[in-house]
This record gives sequence, C-alpha cells and structure tokens, in this order.
Amino acid sequence: MAKPTDLVQGTLDLLILKTISLESKHGWAIAKRIQQVSHEALQVQQGSLYPALHRLEQQAWIKAEWRPTETGRMAKFYSLTRSGRKQLERELANWVRLSTAINIVVQEA
Amino acid sequence: MRILDKARLRLRSLCRRPKVEFELEAELRFHLDQLIEENISSGMPPEEARRAAQRIVGGIAQYKEECRDMRRINFVGDLVQDVRYTIRSLAKSAGFTGVVVATLALGIGANTAIFTIVHGVLLRPLDYPKPDQLMYLTAESPAIGGTRNALSAPEYTEFRQMNQSFAAVGAYSTGGAAYTTGEVNLTAGDRPLRVRSISVDAHLLKALRIQPEQGRFFSDEETARWTGTLPPPIAILSHELWRTAFGGRPLVGQKVEIEGRPHEIVGIMPPGADVMDNHTQVWLPLWLHPSTARQRGVHVLFVIARLKDGVTLEAGQTELNAFVKDWGERVGTKDHVPTNRPLRAVDHTLQLRPLQDAIVGNASRPIWVLQAAVGFVLLIVCANLANLAMARAGSRRREFVLRAALGASRGRLLRQSVTEGAVLAGAGGILGLWLAGAGVRALIRAYPTSIPRTSELTLDLPVLLVALGLSTGTALLFGFVSLGRRRTSSSMVTALKEGARGTSGAWRHYARRGLVIAQVAFAVMLVIGAGLLVQSVYNLTRIDAGFDRSRLVTFSMTLPMANSDPDTRAQAYQRVLERLRSVPGVLGTVAMSGLPPNRTPDAIATPIGNYTSDDGRPFEIIDYYQFVMGDYFGTMGIPIVAGRGFERTDNASQGKVAIVNETLAKRIWKGQNPIGQRLRPPAGSFAANDDVWHTVIGVAKDVRQRGVEHPAGTELYVSLDQHAVSPPSMNVVMRTTLLPAALSGTIERVVREVDTTVPVVRLRDMDSVFAESIRRPRLLAQLLGAFAGLALLLAAIGTYGVLSFMVTERRREIGIRIALGAVRSHVLTQIMKQGLRVTAMGVAIGLAGALALNRLIASLLFGVQPTDTVTIAFVIATITAVAVVASWLPAWRASRVDPNIVLRDE
Repeated sequence: MAKPTDLVQGTLDLLILKTISLESKHGWAIAKRIQQVSHEALQVQQGSLYPALHRLEQQAWIKAEWRPTETGRMAKFYSLTRSGRKQLERELANWVRLSTAINIVVQEA
Repeated sequence: MRILDKARLRLRSLCRRPKVEFELEAELRFHLDQLIEENISSGMPPEEARRAAQRIVGGIAQYKEECRDMRRINFVGDLVQDVRYTIRSLAKSAGFTGVVVATLALGIGANTAIFTIVHGVLLRPLDYPKPDQLMYLTAESPAIGGTRNALSAPEYTEFRQMNQSFAAVGAYSTGGAAYTTGEVNLTAGDRPLRVRSISVDAHLLKALRIQPEQGRFFSDEETARWTGTLPPPIAILSHELWRTAFGGRPLVGQKVEIEGRPHEIVGIMPPGADVMDNHTQVWLPLWLHPSTARQRGVHVLFVIARLKDGVTLEAGQTELNAFVKDWGERVGTKDHVPTNRPLRAVDHTLQLRPLQDAIVGNASRPIWVLQAAVGFVLLIVCANLANLAMARAGSRRREFVLRAALGASRGRLLRQSVTEGAVLAGAGGILGLWLAGAGVRALIRAYPTSIPRTSELTLDLPVLLVALGLSTGTALLFGFVSLGRRRTSSSMVTALKEGARGTSGAWRHYARRGLVIAQVAFAVMLVIGAGLLVQSVYNLTRIDAGFDRSRLVTFSMTLPMANSDPDTRAQAYQRVLERLRSVPGVLGTVAMSGLPPNRTPDAIATPIGNYTSDDGRPFEIIDYYQFVMGDYFGTMGIPIVAGRGFERTDNASQGKVAIVNETLAKRIWKGQNPIGQRLRPPAGSFAANDDVWHTVIGVAKDVRQRGVEHPAGTELYVSLDQHAVSPPSMNVVMRTTLLPAALSGTIERVVREVDTTVPVVRLRDMDSVFAESIRRPRLLAQLLGAFAGLALLLAAIGTYGVLSFMVTERRREIGIRIALGAVRSHVLTQIMKQGLRVTAMGVAIGLAGALALNRLIASLLFGVQPTDTVTIAFVIATITAVAVVASWLPAWRASRVDPNIVLRDE
C-alpha cells in the first residue's frame, strides 16, 4: 500500500516512528527532537515532515489526537499504533541491515 | 484491523473534509507559531521573527496540498473538482456544448438504434433450445426456375423416416389444401376475426422443442395418420390471441368457431411461440387432402429439421444429397420434377439452410447497409468532435500551458480533458439511448412487417454495452485530442508567447483539414448511396403495374370452406358484388382470386392444345391463374390488346372461354394468333367439377403480380361467372370516388347480411396496396436518406468550423492586407477557394469510395445503376452547394475585417 520509498523518505519514516515510540509528540516537537538527538545534523523540513505524518497516519501506523501542550495551546499529538510498532521494528531491522551493508561496502572499498 | 482503520481514515478524509482541512490548517499554524516564538526568544524583533518564519515555512498552501495528496483523497476530490469545473466551463460556452451533445446524441442514437436491429434480427440466436441445430429444408428445381420451394408430402415423409442425421424432422404449411392464405376466420364471442394461422404436425414441435403452456399438443393420430375428409376440428391458440380475444379465460376443452366449424381448443401456446416469423395466432393440425399427399409434384410442405447433437450442416447436407440422388430409382417415379428429359441430379435437390438465415432472408443486406451507414455517420461525428475539440483546445491553449507552468502534471491536465469528454459523452450517450429507444419503437410501429423478428427487438444488455462503449470511446478521443501533443518546456514558452496571438501549429491545420476531407468523403458516399436508393424507390412508384390504380378500393373476404360448396360460395359472392354495385358513388365492382400487384405465384401445370414444350411436355407451367367475377378488365382498367374481354353472354354459353396475358401468348404461341387456341386448367385449382378445355378469346395487357419490381409472368384469366363456382377467398375491388373509411360501414353491413361469421379484412385503397409492396425499399431509402442528410449537415458544420477558425486566426494578416489595399472581394474568393478545395478533395475521395462500395447495394437498387451519372452529378452539386454556403459565411466575415480594429487590437 505504501508508496515505494526512496532512502531519504524511508529514513524519515523511521526517524518519526522512533521519535514518538516513547511518548506522543506534536509535529514541532518531533522536528526539534530529531534535530537535538542528531546534534543538529538532521534538519527535518516542515515540507517533508507534515506530508510524512499524514501518510503514516493514513497507513494507520500512527494515530493523532488533539491535546493541550505545556503552554496550554492545542496541538496535534502523534503516537504509535500497534501496527506502527511492528512497522518500527521492521524499519529498524531494515535500517540495520542496510547501514551494515553500506558500511561494509564503504570500508572495503 | 489495519485495513479497517485505513478505510475509516480514508472515509473520514473524504466525508469530514471541512474538519480535516481545519485541523490541517491548525496544525501548520501551530508549527509556524512555534517557529516565530523560537525566533523571538533568540532575540529577533517580533515582526522580523514572523517574516523569517514565514520564509522558512514557505508556501503553507503547498504543504497542505501535499498533505492532502498523502491522504489520497485528491483523486476523488480532483474528480469532483474536474466535473464541477467542466460543467461550469461547458455551461459558459453553451453553443459549443449544445452542438457537441446534440451531435453525439444523434451519432450514438442512430448507431444504437440500428445496432438494436442488427443484434435483435441478425445476431441474436432464435428463441428455441439449441437454435443452431435447427435447419430449414427447401426443394430446388433450377430446370423450371423454382428455388427455395416447399417439399412434396412423399418427399417429406420418406425423408423423415429414412434419415440418420436429424433428431427430429417436422413440417408445416401456411396454405395447402385446407386453408389457402395462412389466415382463417375465427369467431371470438360474436366478433368475426381474421387471424394468422399455421398448420403443423406433431413432429414439428418436437423439432422446435416447444410445448403448449396449457393443454396438449396434436398427436400423430390427429395429423399424419388422420384419415378424415376434413382436418380434425381441434386447434391451439397463441398466448397473445387467448389474452386479447378471449380475455385469458379458461378455454382448453371448449369449442371455438374456426372457418365456420366448431373446433375444440386443446392447448394454449407459451407467449412468443412462433414458427418462421409467421406471427402465428392459431395453430391447426397439418392435414393434406389424400390426393395431394400422394403427389410428388405438389410442393406444399415447409420442413424444419433439428440436427442430432454433434452432426454438422455439411454432414446433414451430404445425407440429403445421397437421399435425393437415387430417389427416382428407389420409388420408381420421376414425376417430382416436371420435365420429360432424362432426369439429371441438378434438376431436383434438397437444400439445408440454418433456420435463422431462412427467417432473416434477404433482410440481412439492407440491415448491414444501414449499420455501415450509421457507422459512417459515427465516424463523421467523431471527426466533427475532434475538430471542435481542437478548436476549443486552440482557444484554451494558454489556459492549459499556464496550468502546466504552475505545476499541473500532464496526467492531471489529461484527466481534466477526459473528464470534460466524459461529461459531454455521458450527456450525449443518455440522450442518444433515449433517441434510439424512441426511434426503434417508432420504426416498428411504422413498419411492423418490413423487418423480420420485430417482436423480439429490445434495447437489451449487449446493445447497452455497445452504447456505453461508443460513449466511452468518444470521451477518450475527445479528451486526448483536446489536450493535443506533449509539449517540451521550450515549446511551452513558445506556446505561451504564441498563445497571445492565438495561432497554432501547422500540424493542427493539416489534421483539421484532413478531418474535414474525411467528413466530406464519408458524406459523399452516404449521400450517393441514399440518392441511388431514393431513385430506386421513385422508379418503383412510377412503374406501370398494368392497370389503372387510381380510385380503387379493395378488401378481401373468405367464405368458410367446410360448410359451403363452390356453387353456394359463388352465389354468396355474387350477392355481395350485386349489393356493392348499387351503392351510390361506386362505379364498378369485381372480385378476383389474387390481388395484383402483390400475390403469390400459382405455378400450375396447364395442358395446352397442339403444343409441345422445348423439352417435350404437352403442358406449360403457368405462373398465375386469375379467377374473376364481373367486368374485370373494364373495372380494373386493363386494356385488351387482341380479341375481346369476358361478356355476359359467355355466362350462358357451353364453351368455356379464357383470356391470356401478352407474356403467355408470346411464350406459348410465339407469334401465332393466340385467339382460338385451347388450354385445360385443372379443375382443382378453382373448385370446378371437371377439367375442361377453354378457348382463348382475348389477350390482355401484362399486369405485375408478384411485386411491382418483378416482370409480369404468364397469366391465365378464367371467368367464375361462366363456371358459377368460387374458391373460398376472394378479393373485391371497387372503382369508386369514395374513400375506404367512408365505405367501411356499408361493406361490413353487406358482408354481414350474406354471412355473419365472415370478417372484412384488408379494406384499403389501391395506393396503400402499392405502398405496401415497396415498403422495405422505401424504409431503407428513408433511413439512409435521413442518415445521409445528417452526414451532410455534420460535414457542413465541419467545413464551416474549420474555415471560421482559420479566418479568426488570420484576422490580423487579412487586416494588414486590406490596409495595404487588397480588394475585399479578393479576400472573400480566396477564403472560399480554400473551403471549396477541401470539399473537392473530400468529394474526389468519397466518389472513389462510393464506386468501390456501391456494388454492395447493387442488389437493392431498381432501375438505376450504382454508377448512375445523374445521381452522382446531383450529389456533387448538392454537396458543392452546401460547401459554398458553409464557406461563404466565414469568407464574408473575413472580407468585412476592419483593419483599424484589428491593428489596434495588437
């Protein structure tokens, strides 16, 4: 069902799923979190973040609910669904396989 | 589970659209606000922070669109949007929309209507179980020019008993010895009716595998083994007659009067049951007079056979051939072939044909011709649509290019165009279906007997599928054509620039001109075909049938054979004629056995005195016997070319007299004087007592008998007044100044006074009889004429459209030329020349096509050659005239171009 994903898009899905795996977050927080954890190496643009969120939601891997933030403003919080958790595992396994393979190639060459 | 969730989400995206949209907006707004806040907390002034944030976020609208795309709702959303947009833009150009929808509706309607006929009549299998096993058997006797004849009774019974290839062989007769015309008098309550009848044996229904809905079928004892001197008084009614004439009340076991004799109704047939498209209303047991049943030369039975499972037509035919080959030796006679020569195998054969072919007969060619014609019309419609679409695409080029430049994908634009096509084709298709339904109904009403199997015609599933296919096809065509070719980005720029001036590429010019040429060519073919058929019908109406048809009123009546003898019948007819002669306004009243110009041939072997035919026979087959009462030749207006007509004094004289027609005199006596020669018509042919020699007293001018288009055959006239006998059925003809409607009351009263059980049938004037005889060619000519007119109109619209589009495009050039001193009349002729050049090419191609195709309709023509120069010249003149009108308007507009306005527009 999912559109064929290229590497970057696939990774973005993985990053999003991983980021909200512990607690539900809104879009802004997801972007900030990825930025912080990667030491500013990964910048997620809104232009790709929100379409990705909507796609993941449409795939029923994440679900959204409107809740107040700490400042009291309403925001859309995303959290993993059960099938989303499975998807995260699959994506993680994929990523490990892929990155290992790339590492081997890069180091051998 | 996930699938359910996904479905729920998709549904939510679709159905709760405003809410989803609102949430999307809020979500993105939240993000933006967070960004602004962050900027402010890092020390930026609020205004700058907002601007910076907006710069980073960029086009919120674009993100929204992408989010929507991700929700996969755009497909449906786009569709709704496309349809709305289409309807809005089509409503704005109502003229364009109207022309397209009307054109489509006519094209699809005509095609659906004709395809309904093609499918219902030609393609759909007959309504019997395993209809492809059913075969129709005919006797061929080329030696005497007889083809597709019925079989003789001995042939039929022997073949039925001996054959190996057939599961069942049955016979029917619509005439034969008992009933003469395939019709019988039937009394329902106190109402005398004339109903269509068929006489069948038990084997026939076994072969067809139809069962009575109520009651039983005839048994073998009541048909083949019946020994009575009259047929058994039993009958089966059709479902339809039972409902209409008897109100569907229980009838099996009761008696109904048929031909003046009470018949027991033993069964009711299921709805729609019929044989050979006979429109049968009453089924009677097949019975032959013992003498007829023995005679091998009397061909009275129509035979239908069902092949055994797995046996092919060829195998069946092989067996038939073997059966006929040694038939003469086997039964020790050769009198089934009326020739004195040594009998050759080709002189008498039995031929198998699929029953469906036999029913459809020669109607299949006209129907295919019509299908081809509407196919042409559809091609013209498509060419017109393509042209219109191109013109519209030309004027909307900028719009499309602009949308492409703003990021609309080609697929998206194509979808828009196809949606537009689909909306138009949908409207045209629905309207077309309605037209087709109405058209077919009107056609059946107007010509109930011109097309076989009309009772089965419906707009059923295959027909609807064809209509749907046509609509879809045109929608796609329209969509692709109006979008045009793929453009590279550089050509897009050119297009944007060009678009300002509204010119278009050369290929479009050629394509559009090509389409108009094709339209004109197809129109030429159709109009020539229609012209030839119209000419044929005109020729048919102008034929001199041999008698004066003006102011003649005719009707027919049948006195029951069972309870009347020839003498009392003759007296009854004389009474009817006498009373009608005394009606004011009636100038003369006569009766005859066969009504010209539309009667079946008799083909009776007639001994002739001092005569031997080329192959040694003392007799000649005479095509028509005409038994007449009263002053026949005077009332009918048939000139006597030699000798004299029948006179009252003949009635008392002992020597029987006869009159022959010119063809008979020429064929038999070959230049000798026919007056005084003798013939001996068999007494059985007109219910006389003995065969007696008749002396020829006169020669009458030829009268067409078997359809006006067929040359007159040999004909013998016998006066019933002299013999004082009468066959059961007669046609009465009155020379009168009154109309049939004014006479009907009088006629019915007169007939009722003579016999209350006898209905008056086919009361009409002679002109109607003539119209009836040419109904099929006339129907074909009318339909083809209508289609040709439609084609001509469409081609004219096409020519006009292309020229006016060209003029619009070249307005500037024309304006400059006029400003530089070009003469306006020059401009006019130049534009007109362009239109006429296109027309001329179309006419040339169309003529070539017509000459190639017209031999297909050669067999449908009468008195005109497929290459008839007058018709072709007339067609060319018509089309040129139409083209001149279609070209003149745009050309005139071009010549009125005001250089001041055009140049100022720049």
